[in-house]
Amino acid sequence: MTPPSRRAYALEQKARGRKVAAVFPARYPAELLWARDVCPVEVWDPPAGTQAAQAHLQANVCSVVHRALSLWLSGGTGAADFLLFSHACDSLQNLSTLVPDLLGEGRPCLFFYPPKGRRDDLAEGYLERQLEALSERLDEAAGRPREGALERAVAWGEARTRALNDLYDARAGGRLAASNGEFYAAVRACEYLWPEEAVLRLDAFRTERSGPSASGIPLVFSGVLPQPAGLLPRLDDLGVRIAEDDFIACGRRFVRGSLPHSGEPLPTVARRFLALPPCSTAGSPVPDRLDFLTRLAGRSSARGVVFLALKFCEPELFDVPTLAEGLRSRGIPCLVLEVEMGGDVPAQTLTRLEAFLESLP
Amino acid sequence: MSALARLRYRLVKDALLPAALALKRGGKKSRPPDPLFGPPLKSTSDLRRIMARHYALASHAKGAMPVAWVTSGAPVELLRAFGFYTVYPENHSALCGARKLGPEISAEAEARGYSQDLCSYARVDLGHAFSGKTPVGSLPAPDLLFCANNICQTVLYWFKALSREYGIPLVLLDTPYLHGGRDEASAFAYVEDQLRRAVTDLERFARKDFDEARFLQVLESSRRAARLWGGVLETLRRRPAPMTIFDAFVHLMPIVSLRGLPVCERYYEGLLAELRDRAERGVAAVPGERHRLLWDNIAIWFALGPLARLFAEHGAVPVVATYTHAWAETAHQMDLQNPFAALARTYGGIFLNRDLAHRRAFLEALSREYAVDGAVLHSARSCKPYSIGQYDLKQSLRETPGIPSVVLEADMTDHRVWSEAQARTRLEAFFEALEGRGIGGSSDQGSA
Repeated sequence: MTPPSRRAYALEQKARGRKVAAVFPARYPAELLWARDVCPVEVWDPPAGTQAAQAHLQANVCSVVHRALSLWLSGGTGAADFLLFSHACDSLQNLSTLVPDLLGEGRPCLFFYPPKGRRDDLAEGYLERQLEALSERLDEAAGRPREGALERAVAWGEARTRALNDLYDARAGGRLAASNGEFYAAVRACEYLWPEEAVLRLDAFRTERSGPSASGIPLVFSGVLPQPAGLLPRLDDLGVRIAEDDFIACGRRFVRGSLPHSGEPLPTVARRFLALPPCSTAGSPVPDRLDFLTRLAGRSSARGVVFLALKFCEPELFDVPTLAEGLRSRGIPCLVLEVEMGGDVPAQTLTRLEAFLESLP
Repeated sequence: MSALARLRYRLVKDALLPAALALKRGGKKSRPPDPLFGPPLKSTSDLRRIMARHYALASHAKGAMPVAWVTSGAPVELLRAFGFYTVYPENHSALCGARKLGPEISAEAEARGYSQDLCSYARVDLGHAFSGKTPVGSLPAPDLLFCANNICQTVLYWFKALSREYGIPLVLLDTPYLHGGRDEASAFAYVEDQLRRAVTDLERFARKDFDEARFLQVLESSRRAARLWGGVLETLRRRPAPMTIFDAFVHLMPIVSLRGLPVCERYYEGLLAELRDRAERGVAAVPGERHRLLWDNIAIWFALGPLARLFAEHGAVPVVATYTHAWAETAHQMDLQNPFAALARTYGGIFLNRDLAHRRAFLEALSREYAVDGAVLHSARSCKPYSIGQYDLKQSLRETPGIPSVVLEADMTDHRVWSEAQARTRLEAFFEALEGRGIGGSSDQGSA
């Protein structure tokens, strides 16, 4: 069941009377949008190239930001009723102000700042206030939610989290007969599908592909997202099975295991947000990330960890040296590959990957 | 902390160091006058002495008092109230850059897997942490790290790495980025709560109670120093300017590293008096000042001298910079009646933590106040929050207030990304365009 394209889906959602928001990386409270009948369509790696943005951005800005701006400049976010920027790093922060303040975007541009480097009561209190502030902006941009809508949205979030956990569990346990490409097509459709539909598709995919995973070398992958574009089929060819992932766009965006106890909707959203896996963009301590990666490797019987270090991505590039060193000291082989978005995997990168696979015990 | 270390520190501070610095001062030969520039600032020798003393004392502080490494935008006043010796890695990296040691020291971090694409201040600092390489003899290893992400998120990643390397605690002040003014109250309340929590953390760490009277003294000193620094910068409104922004980049060091200490106030009192006197007497930093310029972003430390000459050759005088104003622009908010709220506003509201609409307004205001004819926007490869948006700010400045500008691609510390020949060509074309506009900018031709 191939998911529709983002653009086609956004138009379809609008035809159904929903509003559409273009959402820029990385973490945001989707429940607040769903509650207002807004379909968030995320912008991670659109096929917009980077050329249009070159007049506005330095060459040493990462391709996530270049592509996002190129998409916006080319009218690729035209179907959106408003834009939502979540603070992930300095580059996305500046993009969030460049577009409305200097490039003249006239639609509402909403901004969300999740606390950085803290998960204590102060962070939780501030996050709740941020959620309230974002709710006010959303009321202005999309109208107030109907009675019980936020509770329903929170339940959808819970269901989607459960479906993702089930799917990831099946893959980690070697009980999913799907290629790397098929798996990420299913998971990444959550970046724009309406949550009820996303859950149906995730569950259907898991049921249809239930069965022993293809034999191959199980590895954990970490990075921003599974890019370059040609990577996943190459991994299939090499007999590599991504058994778990620590991608910002995928495995770091849903609570692993059981969700924090629910109660009032906004505090529930806040607590779940803070319970997300540790992430460089959240300023999480590296030991937490190291433990998380170790756990992923253990539960999926992975034989090593591959870091896809996206060029110019500061949050990731700062953590990778210590993570790699820490994993090696725990006896987990790892490889750091510098990658760019789009296109095929460069031959040199492929050679390094092959050499790594050969070196695995 | 040991009594012996404290005794040694006092001995060095009160006896050995003053004698050594006096000896050094006596042996210093003065440079011959340079016709491109006005007479050198007398305060510069005081600055050298103060900073030499600061770094020399730093190496004896370990064990005598707790040592904290601090980001330039962190509210150091809290640490001073607890008696910490503070070291600024950014300042140290700038110093390494000025001595052209950036690539050599950052190579130590690159060898450990830190990408050459990361901030060069961070790479130099981590390189120093891994190797001990520094031009200042030695820096004391930190006992505590204090970081505020109001200047960038990079400092958070960087200080996390230091925390792991030294195995010491990191006290973080998370300062939400401000979009417009709507959520400011909530953001400042969050910062204020963290400041109060930091006091508790520091009490536990330093094993002493918070001395509020001492804190208020430090805060008052910090406020006075920031006002004096603001006064120093205001003297550059005079035509001809009594010093250039290239000088100000150097004289910035005490307000970054020593604010809250009496030495900082004393230094700026002297500098301000000297500059006012020069302004009264019409002493020009650059004789024949023709073009007054605004500089955006951090200095290019390794090229400060050559750039100063190039500018001076064309009668171009940078008279104002967003960067140097960062330590003066929010000083008025330091309200001693409500110190924690004031600190939250002062540090949480700096221009680098605000949106580009604010930056545009800031640039426009500075352009007007200092009557500039053009702007040089240093696109610093290392500093994304400062640099992303500059291409469009250039266009914006051309529209209002109608001044041309040039973007200079460089870095503050890593001279491997710098081409002096290309920069010279670009700047000379810009200066020629300014000539075409006439002094004071009467037409809008030839923006570089």
